[in-house]
Amino acid sequence: MHGAAAGMGNDRLKFTLRFSRAYVAPLWRWYLVGTLALVATNYLSVQVPMHMAAGLDLLRAGQPGASGEAYWIAVLGVLVIVARTLSRVWFFTPGRIAEFNLRGDFFAHLLRLQPDFYARQVTGDLLSRATSDVTYARAFAGFALLQAGNVVGSAVFGVGQMLALSPQLTLAVALPCVLAFGLMQLATRQIMHLQRQMQKHLGLMSDDLLGAFSGVATIQGFNVERVFQSRLDGRAQDLRRTSLAMTRLRAVAFPLLGVAGGVATWGVLFVGGGAVREGTLTAGQLAAFIALVAFIVMPLRMLGWLLPVLQRSEASLERIYAVLDAETLRPGALPSPARAPSIELRGLSFAYGERPVLRDLCTTLPAGATVGIYGPVGSGKSTLLRVLSRLETPARGTVFVDGVDVLDLDLDAYRAALCVVPQAPFLFSETIRENVGFGAPDEQVRGAVAAAALDPDVAALPDGLGTVVGERGIALSGGQRQRVALARALLREAPIVLLDDVLSAVDHATEQELIGTLRSRAGATRVVVSHRLSALVHADFILVLDAGKLVDQGTHDELLSRPGPYREAWLAQQVAA
Amino acid sequence: MKAQSWSWASLWPFMRADAGWFALALGLTPVIAAIGVAQPMLLKQALDRHVTGGSAEGLGRDAGLYLAAVLAAFAVEAVYTVVTAVASENTILRLRHALVKHVLGLSQRFFEKQPTGQIMSRATSDIDALNEALAAGSISLVLDVITMLGVLGGMFWLDAKLALVLLLLGPPIAGVIELARRRMRALFAEIRDSLAALNAFVAERIAGIEVIQLFGLEARTRSRFDDLNDRYRRANVMNNVWDASLYAFIDGVASVAVALMLYWGAEHATDAITVGLVVAFLDYIERLFRPLRELSGKITFLQRAAAALEKIFGLLAVTDRITPGDSSVEKPSGHLVIRDLSFRYRPDGPDILDGVNLEVRPGEVVAVVGRTGAGKSTLVRLLSRVHDGYQGHIEVDGVELSRLTPESVRRAVGFVRQEVQLFRDTLSFNITLGDEKLDPARLAAAIAQSGADRIVSRLPLGLDQPLRERGADVSAGEAQIISLARTLARDPAIVILDEATASVDPASEKLLQEAIDRLFANRTCLVIAHRLSTITRAHRIVVLDAGRVVEVGTHAELVALDGAYGRLYREGQAATGTQQTA
Repeated sequence: MHGAAAGMGNDRLKFTLRFSRAYVAPLWRWYLVGTLALVATNYLSVQVPMHMAAGLDLLRAGQPGASGEAYWIAVLGVLVIVARTLSRVWFFTPGRIAEFNLRGDFFAHLLRLQPDFYARQVTGDLLSRATSDVTYARAFAGFALLQAGNVVGSAVFGVGQMLALSPQLTLAVALPCVLAFGLMQLATRQIMHLQRQMQKHLGLMSDDLLGAFSGVATIQGFNVERVFQSRLDGRAQDLRRTSLAMTRLRAVAFPLLGVAGGVATWGVLFVGGGAVREGTLTAGQLAAFIALVAFIVMPLRMLGWLLPVLQRSEASLERIYAVLDAETLRPGALPSPARAPSIELRGLSFAYGERPVLRDLCTTLPAGATVGIYGPVGSGKSTLLRVLSRLETPARGTVFVDGVDVLDLDLDAYRAALCVVPQAPFLFSETIRENVGFGAPDEQVRGAVAAAALDPDVAALPDGLGTVVGERGIALSGGQRQRVALARALLREAPIVLLDDVLSAVDHATEQELIGTLRSRAGATRVVVSHRLSALVHADFILVLDAGKLVDQGTHDELLSRPGPYREAWLAQQVAA
Repeated sequence: MKAQSWSWASLWPFMRADAGWFALALGLTPVIAAIGVAQPMLLKQALDRHVTGGSAEGLGRDAGLYLAAVLAAFAVEAVYTVVTAVASENTILRLRHALVKHVLGLSQRFFEKQPTGQIMSRATSDIDALNEALAAGSISLVLDVITMLGVLGGMFWLDAKLALVLLLLGPPIAGVIELARRRMRALFAEIRDSLAALNAFVAERIAGIEVIQLFGLEARTRSRFDDLNDRYRRANVMNNVWDASLYAFIDGVASVAVALMLYWGAEHATDAITVGLVVAFLDYIERLFRPLRELSGKITFLQRAAAALEKIFGLLAVTDRITPGDSSVEKPSGHLVIRDLSFRYRPDGPDILDGVNLEVRPGEVVAVVGRTGAGKSTLVRLLSRVHDGYQGHIEVDGVELSRLTPESVRRAVGFVRQEVQLFRDTLSFNITLGDEKLDPARLAAAIAQSGADRIVSRLPLGLDQPLRERGADVSAGEAQIISLARTLARDPAIVILDEATASVDPASEKLLQEAIDRLFANRTCLVIAHRLSTITRAHRIVVLDAGRVVEVGTHAELVALDGAYGRLYREGQAATGTQQTA
């Protein structure tokens, strides 16, 4: 093909090919009718100059019939409008369908990815993959395919017609056009390079701006405004330099095809003029030729952009498939416990990357027991709960539920058997009803709200359960958010209950009330993490963690009878009571 | 805030330096238009005089003239494009500079009310919108108008009757275009809205992914997503249909024009409809429609730019800044006196601080404690001049704080804040903040005193290690140590330390403790303290309650007193659950 494309082997387009097989190919019917419409458009378009030629020649000869040609042209014109519209619709719509499907699959996949994937990502980047990268993929499936078809169509019919009229003239036209096209391709490569530079500079400037604007307090406090100003000025200068370089190149490169058209027309005048005087070409045909030159220039221009669009969509699809190919949670197959199970930890160790958080935990949580976990900051309590809720994946052979390795249990069923309240509650920008029930019947939602001691708060809100919270709604206090998360969890009667420090933001009386509610739910194995030992007093037994190790365990009374961190903490908290 | 509109004229001061380039660009527009109008005429001339009639002689010359016009148009337009770009890029550079300068001088109070994202938009997408409008908008609109007028003039000059006939097509075409555009405007809005809804949904679900996974909400979330995704798709498909029709319609106008011309020529049997005329008119029609096709795009640019202009100049008009004073204190000794300090946020609101008296003498370490809401953070804010308008006095070495120059304030008072702002640069930059005037010896001492030297040796590239967001390279505790180093490097007379409330990992805790020990041993400090270890090391403890000082004394004295401090102390024990050694 052309110089620029020759460097692109097949493996460079592998993601585009994958995308085409999976999302574009199934829509072949659309593309088929679209292609037919394209063929019609180009064929009919080429007829117009021919009828114009005939009409002009008739006029010059003083013969009747020019009106007839005029009617034909009008009819053809309308048909071309229809065919062209259809061709665009029949190419762009499947593009949108492919986009819809790709985005849907991408999002569905996101929902099933593991937390360690998310830990490595920046949300903004994921978001841009879901939105703008998918958009570029769609540009391929719609715009690029249309233009490719259009180029072929106009080449076949346009150039074909020109050749039929006069091969010499066609050559005269082809030379400047091909030359201009080649130059434009060279320029396009450089423009893409400059475009990437600009993106880079833009990114750097945005980063610096964000840093500066977020850190104004610091900057002002230390009187270093000048420093940041000059850094930002520097970035802006870089941006400007690249932008101007790109503009200069564009100013010369973009009009090239138009100029080529003009040069071609001049060539047509010269060579064609001679032919008309000789009589080998009619005047009308010459006019038609000039019209045909204009006809093929536009698609040629589009052809120049096909390569960049292709490159961009390939890059975007690579980013998309990086996510689509990422490993999702391994499902396992065995059913989950229906009644409160025992949970056994055999040498459970866990690390976040290089940093060990849990070290060799060995213990058994009996079925139906309430187990408390106590430990200072960083002791690994929350991580333990995350492992138990399978937000983090433990090693094989370390966590057993009713004697079965937790990795062998069907993940969705296991999650359904859990009732989890994490440490930092996350609320969606939805109503309280939605945040608690996620579509559960109102009765249940009200019950859960009451059980979580949230009733008075909800009653005080303008729309009660229908009040929208979160970014676009009302801001709840820390304690209220915690209780919403608690209500959410209480909605289910689950055999395993995991509570991470849920009572830290409520006062003593409410805490006792909630503890009572939780205890009244029989038939569950409960794991409660708390700083307030008053919440752990009635636990069947308590695990004491420190720096990821299990340093002690026993009932409240047993632990009090021994010297150790538990007893010290209890004594200290007693003073406060 | 009063609503004020800014017109394009407000951009003029930024454009002025490049007025010459702008004038040149403007001056070139009639030239470009003229060449554009001349080209079809030259083509017609060549065709009619030498090809379809007349003599072959002179074809070379007339064809050559046409070619010259083509090349001239290319050259002049290229110059015009570059000149316009240079002028607008320069203008934007100046505007960006002014915006950043302005924003960096605004008071912290302003930043608390504005989400950073919004301010960022002003400096990025809004300025970009202006850039687009300047470069491709206003002047090119002038060019378009002149060109269209010229083309009309050319058409009438060549054959007035035919031109008139063709222009009869104008209104119906314009009507159709307007109809389509109106419909598409509504669809654009729907596209924008549905995309925004989609983005917001995806962003929030990614943030709350764990809730979704824990509660098995995948199916429900997917279904909600599909609805939003579908809404977006349908809006785009509808828009495509209208867009495609419009595009095809405008394309098809040329054919209709040809048909009309032939019909006219046939029916009126004139000799005027020559090949040259038809070719010329076809060219003119294309030149008439090209700007029309781009018109809606340009209008959108300009509308966006106008909106951006409003927002940018609205920001530039904000005068929310703290006025610096003009007195200086050369060598502050570190004597801070707060007398009868009272403050309320709103004139009709409660007094947050109610007659606070506090003194920090050189060499002392004073800790301020109290419950949430006692007024500690307000005190810090007043000291760091986030707010003015207090009653009473805050005096540094006898001079009112609000009257000091920023330089003097910095020499006198150094802040170590709760929230540490780390910049995406090296560790070294994060300590020096790029200030070349720092004494290297003092800098080294600050690094050692704050415990930052341990961080330097821990990081592979030491001081040159690039820091990303907190947690990635340094822990929360280490960030606080860096913040301490930052302040110490300036060697202020008093250090005001606003301790972070969140607990830190044990390793950093130890480092911090040691750093604070050294700090207290060497400097005058006012500490808003939360850690028991910090409080007990202070020379004096001041207890705030409901905006007043209620108790003053050492730790032992106050515990024995068993008053407000005693209660706080016991509750603190309960919250952490461990016995902290005093």
